[in-house]
Amino acid sequence: MKNILVTENVTKSFEGLVAVNNASITVKENTFTMLIGPNGSGKTTLVNCCTGILRPTSGRVLFNEKDITGWKPHKIYEVGFVRSFQIPLPFIGLTVLDNVLGAMRNPGESPLKAPSRKAWVGQDEENMEKAMDILAKVGLEKSWHLPSSSLGAAQLKLLEVAKGLSSGAKLIALDEPIGGVDPASAHEILSHVANLKKEGLTFLVIEHRIDIAAPFADYVYAMDVGNIISEGPPRQVLTDPKVIEVYLGKGVEACSE
Amino acid sequence: MTTETGIKSSLKEFITRKEVPVIVIVLALLTYLFASRGVPIILTIFIDFAVFAIITMSLNLETGYAGVPQFGRVAAVIAGAFAVGAIPGRILAWFMDLPYGLEYASDAVNFRIVPEINALLASSWLLSIGFLLFSLIIAAISGALIGWIISRPAIRLKEAYLGISLLAFGDFLMWVGHNWSGMVGGSVPIYVPDPFRIFAVDRFTVIVLVIFVAAFMVFIYMNRLARSPFGRSMRMIRDNDISAAAAGIDVVKVRTQSLVIGSAVAAIAGGLYVIYTGTCTAFGFQKLTWTFWPWAFMMLGGIGSTLGVLLGVFLLTILRTMIVIFRHQWFGFLLNIGIDPLWLEFTLLGAVIIGVILFMPHGLVPEKVEPMLPKSRVNKIIESRRLAKGE
Repeated sequence: MKNILVTENVTKSFEGLVAVNNASITVKENTFTMLIGPNGSGKTTLVNCCTGILRPTSGRVLFNEKDITGWKPHKIYEVGFVRSFQIPLPFIGLTVLDNVLGAMRNPGESPLKAPSRKAWVGQDEENMEKAMDILAKVGLEKSWHLPSSSLGAAQLKLLEVAKGLSSGAKLIALDEPIGGVDPASAHEILSHVANLKKEGLTFLVIEHRIDIAAPFADYVYAMDVGNIISEGPPRQVLTDPKVIEVYLGKGVEACSE
Repeated sequence: MTTETGIKSSLKEFITRKEVPVIVIVLALLTYLFASRGVPIILTIFIDFAVFAIITMSLNLETGYAGVPQFGRVAAVIAGAFAVGAIPGRILAWFMDLPYGLEYASDAVNFRIVPEINALLASSWLLSIGFLLFSLIIAAISGALIGWIISRPAIRLKEAYLGISLLAFGDFLMWVGHNWSGMVGGSVPIYVPDPFRIFAVDRFTVIVLVIFVAAFMVFIYMNRLARSPFGRSMRMIRDNDISAAAAGIDVVKVRTQSLVIGSAVAAIAGGLYVIYTGTCTAFGFQKLTWTFWPWAFMMLGGIGSTLGVLLGVFLLTILRTMIVIFRHQWFGFLLNIGIDPLWLEFTLLGAVIIGVILFMPHGLVPEKVEPMLPKSRVNKIIESRRLAKGE
């Protein structure tokens, strides 16, 4: 299988605090790759470095063998790599449908073409058909017309996934897609993700709740204080003494960071 | 589908559009205007309404949709006013072999040149119309330029910091104009050539009409922009710029575009205003009038709602203009207890802003959350999907 995302020795330090230290991970195409680790271990920072929200201090990020280190987020979006956020960030002044449409391109985004409806309505109708299909996939079909501010926590997470899907991305990084969601809904969200994986998408998922997410994962990376401490198939990583120590043995220290 | 139902549905779509109630209101106002021809107070209120409607709609584009805290609206208005005050008159003076350099703006020369230019303008329809259009284009270009310049800090700064830097920039042009007498006369007002001179006694009524038409066109333009993919991008950035960037929106580009468009539109209002008053002076453009009043109009009407903004401008302009005109007649008694009625305008502004924040933070007509696509098309798609599923 092809490597879709490769980070080579990515390091990110904030004024001396090393948040990510020499992290090298590989995400293979059409897999569900999981990134686990206690709070403050640098998972989100690593994803931020990959998606252009942050610029890595050193190291390289390769997407489909193209060097995307330090690119702007909207450029990285264009090559087919999108992300969701840990805290869902819906566009609250837009409907659920427009939240999804916003991630699709349309000639009417140019202010020169926007005033003439003819220039963009056709494309927008096409996009809407696609968006409704995507909303159906994540189970939000009935809520298309609602303001996104009226959705619940689980629905907001699904909306984040839908926003990622709508771009036609090849790789979607989900930051804690089931954080703060009850187990039943969490399972539902991950089932949607698993179905989408069958359609050929690749997922890089940051997750705390290993118990629920592990059965879906193909490959797992474990992080602690900025370092990759273990990697492999889920069973192997979860039984790794180093991982167990991080989560249980030194749990009090890890939490206090 | 037959053509008949097509016509019917398009007619229905037309009637339910927001433009229609506005057209009705405008027509009613204009009827009233012509019925009460020659009453200067009413003309003043009308012109104030139309000019501030344009400015507030432009502010609403930048603040209400794109989320830029535009506390420097006055900068773009001044850019338009100075451009119209300084450039078209000079060009005509150059053609007429009159002094057109720095001396054009000097108080000893200006009051002699401009009547000559006016006499020429009054002799030709073509020249008058050309002069007006050229003035507005010049105003829009200089406004767009100023918008582009002030959008540069908008790349790096956010929220309060951006607001403060825009606020500081707002007065910058006023002070340049005040101290550089070679441009628009510095502290002495210069005359602006009058393309409406040709209408003689009907001048004011025609100006009102022209400014109204301009305001109406801006209204349609803003409505179109707001309900388009461009409007969607702007709202995405307003709601969350990081998330918008992650959804593939070039945040810097969209912010710049909104500032350039908004500033160009506001500059047109500034240009129209100096053509109406016939004079241009730097101190005539204070941030109280040209930044904070538009903010109050927008807040009362509803941030992010073009129709609401018009309503806010309408209600408050009447109140404000009445106070400005009549403060000494009606509130002269305040002088006896040592309060200058001059402050009433400020008091009203503060009271409106506080009242709106406390009692209706979303304004009179809150922003509606609805799809950008026209409703009829959305319904068609939803209906066809339902049918496809049922089969």
